[in-house]
Amino acid sequence: MDKLLDLWLASGIYNVTPGQVFMILIGLLLLFLAIRKNFEPLLLVPIGFGGIMANIPEAGLAMSAVENAIHLGGPEMLQTLSAALNINSADPAVVTHAYHAADAATHTAAVYAANDHGFNNGMLYNFYTVAIASGAAPLLIFMGVGAMTDFGPLLANPKTLFLGAAAQFGIFATVIGAVSLTTLGIMDFTIQDAAAIGIIGGADGPTAIYVASLLAPDLLGAIAVAAYSYMALVPMIQPPIMRALTTEAERKIAMVQLRHISKAEKIMFPIVLLILVALLLPDAAPLLGMFCFGNLMRECGVVDRLSDTAQNALINIVTIFLGLSVGSKLSADKFLDLQTLGILLLGVIAFGIGTACGVLMAKVMNKMAGGNSINPLIGSAGVSAVPMAARVSNKLGLEANSQNFLLMHAMGPNVAGVIGSAVAAGVMIKFVG
Amino acid sequence: MDNLMSEGLSLMVFGMGFVFVFLTLLVFATGFMSKLVTKFAPEAKPQPAKPQPAVAAAASPGNDELVAVMTAAVHQFRKH
Repeated sequence: MDKLLDLWLASGIYNVTPGQVFMILIGLLLLFLAIRKNFEPLLLVPIGFGGIMANIPEAGLAMSAVENAIHLGGPEMLQTLSAALNINSADPAVVTHAYHAADAATHTAAVYAANDHGFNNGMLYNFYTVAIASGAAPLLIFMGVGAMTDFGPLLANPKTLFLGAAAQFGIFATVIGAVSLTTLGIMDFTIQDAAAIGIIGGADGPTAIYVASLLAPDLLGAIAVAAYSYMALVPMIQPPIMRALTTEAERKIAMVQLRHISKAEKIMFPIVLLILVALLLPDAAPLLGMFCFGNLMRECGVVDRLSDTAQNALINIVTIFLGLSVGSKLSADKFLDLQTLGILLLGVIAFGIGTACGVLMAKVMNKMAGGNSINPLIGSAGVSAVPMAARVSNKLGLEANSQNFLLMHAMGPNVAGVIGSAVAAGVMIKFVG
Repeated sequence: MDNLMSEGLSLMVFGMGFVFVFLTLLVFATGFMSKLVTKFAPEAKPQPAKPQPAVAAAASPGNDELVAVMTAAVHQFRKH
């Protein structure tokens, strides 16, 4: 009978909290969106599943050794830990707080104390440490994206870089939004949180995760989910804004065919970009360095095997670990918060403002160039979201004029947006990191 | 609180300004690079141009007969 009681006391049904139930439902919702609605399935399937696993009661998959010890170890373990952390209280909340605030040496002492009593890091916690806390996974993904990117359309028309710059205004406008919410007393974001939330407007998953892991690790789960969900929603968010800001005549503008780009130019471009980053903004060097490296592997033509691995096998492997690690941040105590709602709301505003600024910038450039050479629809592609945003521009162009193929023209601002959001990320890390 | 707001504003002004400056420089650097490449390492135009004189040189002395003989020889060689 005692054994039966033990089994019951250790069961998930007995231990589950309402928060965990809710988070498991959110995980199931993400899986539903990915599988039935095809929302960024490559990321939302691992994220959703990781979120469910992280919320299995008593399994502690997303917790560190010490957190597991605090949760499962009982009073004696808490005494040992409070001794290791040099505090008097053995209250779980106080011990947890002291553990997070401890300096490196005390922190390590607590970890050893937990290990001695047989507590270890949860699997997802280990994935998170290796993949995201180290910065490795987003950077490897960026390398793969670089290996998949063709800078040809951008090199044929370098002015489209301005569109990629204008669309980054969404990022900074959102920072102001987050800061205002705090000033008004509705939310409680620090300037680091605000910067990490703003980067959602860059519409670039790996950049958002990289910045969030450096500036606001606590908000990482919400930020990553928001970034990837909105990337999937690009075909729904952008068209109304684009239609509202352009006239029928502007949407009909046909653009001249792009010039041919030589192989040497394509090889030189990542090197030029890297030199510029090295000279001006070393803080963007991890992101843009890996991006340029991937692109050089693609264009130089002598390491096809490496380029192939970077854009296929490696990016797939990294995506699995990245997704599960992001999922591990979907724990009830961090996600079920008013702040998450604020992040989701600010994220979609960031997206909308970025799109609008890109379109407006394209209109200005069109006016300056005589009024009949740049279709403003390509401006919206300045938010990254490669290649979805460019496809949206193409689709709206075809609606206005069935002979108007804007896809290649929109790819220019699209890849410029990737560079722009990485530069914006570098600036954020430099100023508030 | 006001401090936070001013921090946000300065982040916006400097951040946006820097993004524009960086990408403007990139526009110039890219244009410069493209010009250099098309000037010193032209690819598209001279490549078809170079083989043309070579073919012309080979064909110009009126060696139609020689070409025919060589073609036949190669043909014969491949058969075996």
